[in-house]
Amino acid sequence: MSNQTSKLKMTAMERQHLRSGLLFCLPGIVGLMMFTVYPVLASLYYSFCNYSVLKPPHWVGWGNYQVLMHDSQLGAALKNTVIYAAMAIPSGIITAFLLANLLNQKVRGMAFFRTAFYLPSVTPAVASAVLWVWVLNPQFGLLNTALASVGIQGPGWLSDPAWAKAALALMGMWGVGSWMVIFLAGLQDVPVELQEAARLDGAGSYASWRHVTLPFMSPHLLFASVMGLIGVSSFFAQPMVMTGGGPAGSTTFFAQYLFQNAFQFFKMGYACALAWSLAVVLIFLTALLFRGSTRYVYYGGD
Amino acid sequence: MPKPLTKQTRLLALAINLLQLCCGTLIIAILLILSGCHKTEVQTGGPVEITLWHPWGSDQAKGLQRIVDLYHHSQNRVRVRLVFTPTDLSTNQKFFTAVAANKPPDASFVDGTQVAQWAEWGALLPLDKYIQQAGIKPTDYYDPCWKQAQYQGQVWAMTYCADPNFAFCWNKELFRKAGLNPDQPPRTIEDIDAMAQKLTQDKNGRLLSLGIIPWSQYGSANSVFTWGWAFGGKFYDEKNGRITANNPRVVKAVEWMASYAKKLGITRVNSATSGWGSGASDPFITGNLAMRCVHISTLKDLTRYGPNLDYGIAPIPGTPDGEIGSSWVGGWLLALPRGCAHPDAAWDFVHWACATPEGTAAIAREVGLLPGYRRSPAIAQVKHDPRLGMFVKILEDSKHQRPVMPVQAFFMGALDRAVERAIYAKQTPQEAMDQATAETQRELDLVSGKKVQ
Repeated sequence: MSNQTSKLKMTAMERQHLRSGLLFCLPGIVGLMMFTVYPVLASLYYSFCNYSVLKPPHWVGWGNYQVLMHDSQLGAALKNTVIYAAMAIPSGIITAFLLANLLNQKVRGMAFFRTAFYLPSVTPAVASAVLWVWVLNPQFGLLNTALASVGIQGPGWLSDPAWAKAALALMGMWGVGSWMVIFLAGLQDVPVELQEAARLDGAGSYASWRHVTLPFMSPHLLFASVMGLIGVSSFFAQPMVMTGGGPAGSTTFFAQYLFQNAFQFFKMGYACALAWSLAVVLIFLTALLFRGSTRYVYYGGD
Repeated sequence: MPKPLTKQTRLLALAINLLQLCCGTLIIAILLILSGCHKTEVQTGGPVEITLWHPWGSDQAKGLQRIVDLYHHSQNRVRVRLVFTPTDLSTNQKFFTAVAANKPPDASFVDGTQVAQWAEWGALLPLDKYIQQAGIKPTDYYDPCWKQAQYQGQVWAMTYCADPNFAFCWNKELFRKAGLNPDQPPRTIEDIDAMAQKLTQDKNGRLLSLGIIPWSQYGSANSVFTWGWAFGGKFYDEKNGRITANNPRVVKAVEWMASYAKKLGITRVNSATSGWGSGASDPFITGNLAMRCVHISTLKDLTRYGPNLDYGIAPIPGTPDGEIGSSWVGGWLLALPRGCAHPDAAWDFVHWACATPEGTAAIAREVGLLPGYRRSPAIAQVKHDPRLGMFVKILEDSKHQRPVMPVQAFFMGALDRAVERAIYAKQTPQEAMDQATAETQRELDLVSGKKVQ
């Protein structure tokens, strides 16, 4: 009997805890519902509509998705995005990884170097974009001046369709600080005893880096690739500020095309369809990346 | 394992619980009250305050404030509160969000090219009722000004400023140095070509100064319109709702524009222009650019930053079989958004500013722009000014305005892209204009097709 009452009391208390817990979470939950879940679901609904914000949405079924299949501008934007991804993701990861390895050395003044290399990634995107417009200026820019001093006449970077994407990727390498920090944290987790064991077995510093450090870093590299993929698909601020999508459309990336449709032509339904298609493609690519990488990625204790 | 609760602790827990509940409700209530509080705003006696959203900065904004002050002096029924909200062709989100949320300003500026689009989307109130009451006639306005305020047989906005686009100006000093007659501006496109050749200077393959850059007359799209009409082209067949931007004359104009990119080398031009600035380092003032089209508001900058600049101003050159001295009217208009709180009071201001001698004169005086109102005393005042007078002449002669149709923003974008493809030789001018025409036609059909349903 007493056992039963105590059980009942327990549930009452639990219920109370649940209620207080929920009450405390309420602002967060309401915020999540209003500002994340609802907009996401609404955008899915709008992707099946013609919707210009001002008039009520008008159901068109798969219409937007059909248009999207034959949209030549979308094709061009996708091509630009893929080319840019192929340049920016590997170059960014390699730069960040090399920097992290350098910054993992025991050198005096390391705190200074780490800060210096991390600093660009806390610079606001627009501010650094404006700065780079001048660095990349063909006549007065730092870059072409430096190139000229070794006898190379630099290209028109942002004003030449052939170089504009490369210029943006180059700028991206300057802002790899956040990846660098992740890699640095990963490098410091590589067990010292394994490295010592490798040394004792006669491995040189390259061999121990290649066969001990690199496998331990593989999850971080995979993570950076996935985030890079997502980052490229939403790459927006810098091209918007620096080139406005030009010259000759060579830096009109997916995100900008979506933005144009949504906020310039107010084709919200079509923009939502674009966004959802991108989400599906990204999920698919990420899954592919995870699948394809199981052989190469080593998760510590597993 | 938690201990069973005593009576006191249970009471305490209950009290805390109740307190939380009360606090939560209170916070939510406060939030609700805050968010709904301007709904309860009631006007009781005194002047009605209206909100006007405007896109102007610095001098233009100060001028607009002075115009509003004059309006306040003239009556005591309405007070105008100015709110700066940038609305250009690509960033109208704020306005649309406000209209969609039923909290629009009482009046807003709208770009001439956007009137039809905003009307089509239902963002504006038709003004016909007010216009009839006020006895305003279409002939009170310059044709293009009146035309671009109309869509589907109704009037949606009133012209605040008519921008006569463009006048052609040339740097006499550079003409002299190149051995050209400084008092003889080009009259035809052929003249431009001949003069530009003499005015272009380069050193070690680098362009130092240029005669003209045909595609950079206030953006590629505006450049195509300007030269397209100068070549005798047409952009829109209003009767049949067909985009005609691949009209042979327009294509010829784009060919001409692209010929400069080819002749001078587009990358060389870009590397020359990348160092150009604005204000005191405007290439026309620094002598790096000899000929350009100019908008009326640029005249002030030329006077301010280049007080000793020796330049002339003339009508736009054209082709003999096209239109010499062609021009078009852009400008900004004032409109009442759908769902605005005080339409009558807002109209009172719009009427004063756009359709009375005092208001239109104030606009010309305070911000240096020309009104679209024919009977404005401002027109007669600046008519004999050697430079501003040219703009009055252009305004009086102008026959064109950019197509009045509901996908104008898209059309401008398509033209921008087409010109870029042509000057970067990614496509022939014909292909580029064909594509722009097809893209825009598809959008237009989508909008008009939807209406049929």
